[in-house]
Amino acid sequence: MTDLSRLINRLRRWERGIGIAAFVFLSAGLYLGLVTSPPDYYQGEVVRIMYIHVPFAKSALLAYTILFAGSLWYLWKRDPVVDNLCHATAGIGLFFTSVALVTGSIWAKPTWNTWWTWDPKLTAFAVLLLIQVGYLMLRSFVDAPDREARYAAAVAIVGFADLPIVYLAAEWWRTLHQPLSISVRGLSLSREIFIPLIVMSIGTSLLLAYLLAVRTQMLYLERLLIAKRGRMLAQSTTTSPLPPPPSG
Amino acid sequence: MRELINVIYWITWKDLRCELRNRENLAAMLFFALNILLVFSFSFAMDDLTAILPGLIWTAFGFTSIVGLGRSFVPEVQNDCVEYYQILPVHKGAIYLGKLVGNLVFMTLVGLALVPLLVLFFNIDLGGATWILLLIFLAGMAGLAILGTLFSALTSRIRAREVMFPLLLLPLSVPVFIGAVEATRGALAGDPLPLYRHWIDLLLIFDGIFVIVAFWISELILDD
Repeated sequence: MTDLSRLINRLRRWERGIGIAAFVFLSAGLYLGLVTSPPDYYQGEVVRIMYIHVPFAKSALLAYTILFAGSLWYLWKRDPVVDNLCHATAGIGLFFTSVALVTGSIWAKPTWNTWWTWDPKLTAFAVLLLIQVGYLMLRSFVDAPDREARYAAAVAIVGFADLPIVYLAAEWWRTLHQPLSISVRGLSLSREIFIPLIVMSIGTSLLLAYLLAVRTQMLYLERLLIAKRGRMLAQSTTTSPLPPPPSG
Repeated sequence: MRELINVIYWITWKDLRCELRNRENLAAMLFFALNILLVFSFSFAMDDLTAILPGLIWTAFGFTSIVGLGRSFVPEVQNDCVEYYQILPVHKGAIYLGKLVGNLVFMTLVGLALVPLLVLFFNIDLGGATWILLLIFLAGMAGLAILGTLFSALTSRIRAREVMFPLLLLPLSVPVFIGAVEATRGALAGDPLPLYRHWIDLLLIFDGIFVIVAFWISELILDD
């Protein structure tokens, strides 16, 4: 129990600071990206959606990595708060994945002249969305909390195999989606584009951390409430002056 | 180690024996696959199928594995065998591997029965790549069986099992599908091996990763 409350206490203490930092970075990033950065030579003003699309896509991948690491941690330590953290990560990761897919689709319409194409990178990203949906659905279908946590962790660990495909698809297939701009070959971006992009990326990562802290606490309190209610019900039946109802 | 192999052997033996007696699973898989092939053959009524053929083949195998593997652990739960498995003094991964070998045998049998029909229906020219195709076929089937058996164990004791099994199996087996489809495409097109060799490698690597992960995870799934 001490470990549990330590993590929760820490989350509670950091929550406000992370939230403020996320707000500051996101506002600064949006100002830099939407106002001061120059329009693209080929794409014009459309390129500005990239400052939302790329950071959200990166944070979605980060969220899944946290889910994977958290699942391993849960299986190792069996700490219920870590399970709450994983549960929270899947839901928030689903939100980030959806934002990345929707903004990418809006960007694709003027640039590629189509809302959606079955490009491997896009497909692998859509699969990531489906894995997270499957994960959350599975959680709602298992009745015992302990079993729910173990099964969900198993799915998250197997699903991690999709991540390298998302990350490397544009390299493997040489497709429509542009290849990685930041890789072992060095940086292929100019400074005016890179700075707002990195500020926005920090902003979305902080937003992810903030949402995780809030949601994890919510799920933790929810579980606590259910446990308390169960205990109170048990007490009220044992101390009740009436005889228990006949069973069967 | 000896106990582990014994458990794997006896569970596989039991599954094969049961199947020999009633042949329910094999018949269901085979006729389901036949139905899919018939639907495909008139859904895609075009002259040149070579571009989509690898996809068609693996879609058919994938759906067939949903039918065949989804119920793999149901008899174990219904007959309360799972309780007995829990008192076996071995790693629970052995039970998983036993079920996996049995399932792999069924899927390979159904797949081998389908190949002549595929050749017949879609006019495939196997060319000189028969052995490579057989390797791709076995590796792809193994990938589907590895994940299918794991998720069959996982969904056997939850609500809405029939819904959850394909919802988990299909997205998570995407790496297997990608490797198998691309390698099959290369082999059917008659490309030289080095051109599609990396897809076979990808498939084998994922098979290896998945079987190790599944062996380890099945201890957590079957242990309550």
